[in-house]
Amino acid sequence: MEKIFNIYEGQSCSMVIICDGKGRRFLYPGTEGDVSVHDDADFSRVLMEAGAGLNMVYIVMPGAVADIGLTVDLDGKGAEVTVSGIYLCDGQDRLSIRMDVRHNVPDCRSRQLFKGLASGTSSTDFYGRITVAQDAQKTEAYQENHSIILSDGAKVETRPQLEIYADDVRCSHGATVGRLNEEEQFYMRSRGIPADEARVLQMISFLSPIMDNIEDVRTREIVMETVSAAVRTL
Amino acid sequence: MDGMYVNFDEMNDILLEIKGLKAGIEGKEILRGVDLTVRKGEIHAIMGPNGAGKSTLSAVLAGKENFTVTGGSVMFMGKDLLKMSPEERSWAGIFLSFQYPVEIPGVSITNFMKTAVNARRKACGQDELKAGEFLKLMKEKMAFVQMKPEFSKREVNVGFSGGEKKRNEIFQMAMLDPVLSILDETDSGLDVDALRIVAGGVNTLHTPEKSVIVITHYQRLLDYIVPDVVHVLKDGRIVKTAGRELVARIEADGYDSIGR
Repeated sequence: MEKIFNIYEGQSCSMVIICDGKGRRFLYPGTEGDVSVHDDADFSRVLMEAGAGLNMVYIVMPGAVADIGLTVDLDGKGAEVTVSGIYLCDGQDRLSIRMDVRHNVPDCRSRQLFKGLASGTSSTDFYGRITVAQDAQKTEAYQENHSIILSDGAKVETRPQLEIYADDVRCSHGATVGRLNEEEQFYMRSRGIPADEARVLQMISFLSPIMDNIEDVRTREIVMETVSAAVRTL
Repeated sequence: MDGMYVNFDEMNDILLEIKGLKAGIEGKEILRGVDLTVRKGEIHAIMGPNGAGKSTLSAVLAGKENFTVTGGSVMFMGKDLLKMSPEERSWAGIFLSFQYPVEIPGVSITNFMKTAVNARRKACGQDELKAGEFLKLMKEKMAFVQMKPEFSKREVNVGFSGGEKKRNEIFQMAMLDPVLSILDETDSGLDVDALRIVAGGVNTLHTPEKSVIVITHYQRLLDYIVPDVVHVLKDGRIVKTAGRELVARIEADGYDSIGR
């Protein structure tokens, strides 16, 4: 059964979801600067009322068997959503990410940014759709998906979709799949940075725009540490 | 015993010794037997027309992997340079100022330099610099090439002007304190003010223990960094070696008149 998460008028919410071999957990910033973990709250659909805000960050760790699907309905004027994510795929990981953002009314904003590293013989499938209804004028909707392939056996598929029925909108999408830049590596090595360290710097800098989306400082630090450690194993 | 005589002082003076170096890229030979000896304290200029192999020489010395060395040897301070990785060459004291410095989005100058400085310290068996010590060093060297404080937070070379990129190279040179600096077309894209800052930096860093190879097409930079020895590289070989007076001759008569 589809679990629905409602964000009521004027409310806003930010959360970080970590997916790893153990399952899916939510990190919540606490009042005392600590971060608590919940593993029961799962949903696949978000309904956003007028002026509601949502900032969701997915972190998919190596070893996760993840099928991430999320539908966001922007149902009230002025609602604003940012969904971003990092995926680190290794070994025989199979990851599927499906994002469906639906602009049903005017004046809403949405932003999707997913970036990932694919190693081993992993396989990643990203499907992202933006739908803008006919009367959803003044919509701003952006979607980006960028992947770096680290091994010959890794596979990444990316399928961005835009369905726009309104005429006064600002929408864009972009997707790239590439490899780590060798010119950058040589430049760093010529300054004495060892090859493996240069790779790590490149990978972390590639992922950093998503870290920046995590508002709570302590949560960001925890995620940064976890991701940095995992990147070193890829 | 006469034949066994070795002048140790003279030998120990040699920093870099290139003999019969042949190298190319994708099966095309570019360097066709380069000989070059650089002693401590010397400033060498390597001049030559476009396509002579100047940038190939600097890339091979820094260890760029897409070039293949097909012959000859390069010894740096008594060690076989060609067996060393790019990072080992840096730790040994070689620095290449890039003709086209590379942009590294997402990596700040501070993070970049901290990683580089500490990697070298680690390789040399030294402790990492404490945060305070590192920042003090950064500040000092930034002032040296007239970089503003916010420079340290910028992403490496991203959105830098031509002059800023070259000043950033000299800043890194100052941070890493190399024994042998190779400046590859450092004057390209510089206005006179930036040229002065860059040359001033190089001259200040120069000591009797250190050497510099200035690779350039034009005389311009050599008005500020005055070479002891001038070589002309043409068609992958050094065809002429002389004192600094050669620079004026090249400027007057062009490369065609040399090495025929």
